[in-house]
Amino acid sequence: MRKRILIIDDDVRHLITAKEILEEEGYEVITHHYAFGATNTVRVQQPDLVLLDVNMPGLSGDRLSKVMLSNEKSKDIPIVFYSSNDEDSLRKAVSEYGVKGYICKGSIFDLRKGVAYYLGQSQ
Amino acid sequence: MTFETECHTVGVLIASRENVPPQTRVNRVAENFFGSTSLDAVAIVEGNEPVGLVTRQKLLFTLFRRFGFELYGRKPVITVADTEPLTIHKNERLDVAIDMALQRPVEDIYDEIIVVNDSSCFMGLLSVKQMIIQQSNALANSMVQKEIAKARIKELENIEKIKSQFIANVTHELRSPVNAIIGLAELMKISCEKGYMDQLNDRLSLLMSSASNLRAIITNILDLSKIEAGKMEVIYEGFDMAALLRESAETTRVLLGNKPVEVDVITPISPLHIVSDPLKVRQILTNLLSNAAKFTEKGKISLLLNEEEGRIKIIVCDTGLGIKDEDISRLFTAFTQLEDVTTKRHEGTGLGLTITKNLIRMLGGSISVSSTYGKGTAFEIVLPKMSSE
Repeated sequence: MRKRILIIDDDVRHLITAKEILEEEGYEVITHHYAFGATNTVRVQQPDLVLLDVNMPGLSGDRLSKVMLSNEKSKDIPIVFYSSNDEDSLRKAVSEYGVKGYICKGSIFDLRKGVAYYLGQSQ
Repeated sequence: MTFETECHTVGVLIASRENVPPQTRVNRVAENFFGSTSLDAVAIVEGNEPVGLVTRQKLLFTLFRRFGFELYGRKPVITVADTEPLTIHKNERLDVAIDMALQRPVEDIYDEIIVVNDSSCFMGLLSVKQMIIQQSNALANSMVQKEIAKARIKELENIEKIKSQFIANVTHELRSPVNAIIGLAELMKISCEKGYMDQLNDRLSLLMSSASNLRAIITNILDLSKIEAGKMEVIYEGFDMAALLRESAETTRVLLGNKPVEVDVITPISPLHIVSDPLKVRQILTNLLSNAAKFTEKGKISLLLNEEEGRIKIIVCDTGLGIKDEDISRLFTAFTQLEDVTTKRHEGTGLGLTITKNLIRMLGGSISVSSTYGKGTAFEIVLPKMSSE
């Protein structure tokens, strides 16, 4: 069965590009614009992996991850930060919020490789 | 704790130079004490060398005993004096001198100390009480200094924190559009390879808007650096403010696209000639109007121009999103500096308004804002009509 990936971002450009690039890889990709309502999408769609942007107005990705990881229906779904932030701050956020890891935006190679890696890890 | 840096040498603390020869009669010395209530001790000096010390307390105690005057009054003072008083060199440190003074027998502790120079010549007397006051002042002072230093360290740490947050913010703001451009270019390449030419146009538009977005951010960062480095120059010339306002309104209409938002310009006096920097005034208006266009979904954006007492007043108001009270204070701060990039709740860099405020200040004007969340925002700019230069 095709793996399902959910991308949550406030920037449509990043949603479009990541979605298409990952669809090219054969994944099923769902997108959620902005942080609000994302927890519900996660619960309903039960993706195999969540790519979560960090800087989002209203509710930041790291706080959102905390909400998802504390919810019974979403706590086992692996979350990976997908952000343009500096790597140091991402590393810090990963260990602080207990998500699986991070992928830096900007490199298609890293995106493909990162997604394959984290999906493999979650099996 | 060390007093090394705080400590004086005793030479500078000499409290009195009172001295008498050893043969002076006790009565005479007593008269000196009676005559001056502030005189606490007299050194006995022979030639230039100190040979003894009489303190007020001990001399008067001797004289006021039974038959004291009769027994001692006419005798040379040296006979009732302490002939081995504590004597120290003028370069001795204050704390060492105090230690030496306090090591004396209890009844002598507060006796004055004789200070001598390199050739053992009498220089003066030190008051132990005053030295202790001096020492405790030094201690208090060093504590104050320590507090000041602590506060400074905290301030530096804070600056350091703001600096690293600024860098983190810049990193994100610059990378985000660059990453979008790279991603979109990649998608276009895939479209070309697969022959999906119909997708190209949309992607190209997104790519171009990402590129302009990036250019605007870079321009803003460079402008702000220029302002902060004091390298931004003001070039004054005469121009028609009303015309500039109408022109800016036109640009705003383009920015609004299809949104149902009217743009009104109210200029009672036209033309209104002022002397200022037209490029900077245009940049100020563009910044405020592009914000208004971004946050207003329907209704109206109004531009009002007035002249009063040698100044012009421009009001830019909209029926947009509005600003929450708690966010107003951070409005003119780049990247809302104190905000952590990872927990950032606010869209945009805040650079535009920071630059706007700085530009207005450079032109000798001021800006204020009032807003009701959900109803709209009004920025009021006041600029001098003529340059002060």
